[in-house]
Amino acid sequence: MVNRKLAKVLKFRYTILAAILVLLAAGLVLLPKYEKHEGINPEELLSNVISPERYITSDELAHKIINQDPSFLLIDVRDEENFKKYSLPNAINIPLKNLLKEDFEGYINQSQFDVVFLSNDNLYADQAWVLCNRLGYKNLHVLKGGINNWFNTIINPAKPNENMASIDFQLYSNRKAASMFFGVAYPEQVKKKPVVVKKVTPRKVVPIKKKKKLPVEGGC
Amino acid sequence: MKELEKTKRISIASVLFILVILIALLAYKRPKHLYSENTKSTLEKITTENYFTNLTELKDTNVVLIDVRSQFDFEKGHLENAVNIYAPEILNDTNSKFFDELKKNNNSVILYGNTPNEVIAPYMLLYQLGYKNIKILTAEITYSKNKVISKDVEIEKSKYDINGFIQESIKKASIKAKPKPEVVKTPKKIIPIKKKKKLPVEGGC
Repeated sequence: MVNRKLAKVLKFRYTILAAILVLLAAGLVLLPKYEKHEGINPEELLSNVISPERYITSDELAHKIINQDPSFLLIDVRDEENFKKYSLPNAINIPLKNLLKEDFEGYINQSQFDVVFLSNDNLYADQAWVLCNRLGYKNLHVLKGGINNWFNTIINPAKPNENMASIDFQLYSNRKAASMFFGVAYPEQVKKKPVVVKKVTPRKVVPIKKKKKLPVEGGC
Repeated sequence: MKELEKTKRISIASVLFILVILIALLAYKRPKHLYSENTKSTLEKITTENYFTNLTELKDTNVVLIDVRSQFDFEKGHLENAVNIYAPEILNDTNSKFFDELKKNNNSVILYGNTPNEVIAPYMLLYQLGYKNIKILTAEITYSKNKVISKDVEIEKSKYDINGFIQESIKKASIKAKPKPEVVKTPKKIIPIKKKKKLPVEGGC
């Protein structure tokens, strides 16, 4: 008797199993949509966003450019008009609007170079950084203070007062040298040049000694 | 008997299968925070929409002002009626409930920090999580004599004409330099005279 009842239930075993699986599949539809949930999760993004690690100071960047460090890529996220007015040497212009277009993905999503975002201040650059960081791109940095701070520190550094520490003077002379590298000329820089030229004049006296040798050779 | 054993195996396997699925479903935890915007739509909106306000718009009622600086800075001085939510704690349970409530009540939320730059990252995060009633205050907070001073600032303004500055510096430097190169030229003229002396000596040979 037991066997017969069991056999009756077992007749429908496949339909019962199928029904359960269909129900479970329907459950999947209720799960939240994941298509919008691209990139790293929000908690991780928050901890990345809070950390000031992404900032690179203008002094560090100037040092890299002057030493012709080949390991970084400058990306200017301002619009084309501002980019044409002034940008750092070798910067690539990717306006913020076009940041995520496929044409530019190769610049941003790679592991070969350190990417440095820059804009007038660091607001737009930060926005670009947040979006790219969410997508999990690596080696991204932001120029702290942007072009405005670049001008204040590198192009036109403030002279230190007499009562400031010697570090400030050192920093100033470094920055001044950097600004000369980026094309700024100083009046005293030109004054120094003639001094160098005067040193050249005694060198021209040297050929006179050679002339004395020549008549000796002529005597032979 | 053999058939019975087969069906037993099948049913055991299927029960195990269903158990695994049930366990997986029970263990599934819905993440606390989900993005409601993907990066492309966010980028499109942050480049087209205006989400900045200035100090004059603060007088509206229905506005909730949030200070994202640390508690230390907040206690030193803050804008009137501001609520302190430190940026790293913005996704805490209580804080996200608070934001949800504000979103439901259609309150507009204004974030501020010492500078707009400090606020942009928390703003971007909240925006992508779907809180679209948020704006950024374009003001700088400084202290003077224990009082808070807030000043409107322009965002991402190109303050300096760097190319112009460089050109001018070159001009300034070159004006002073002009008389000196003339001095340099004179010694060069002496040299050819000396060369003429060489020629007669060689002719002697």
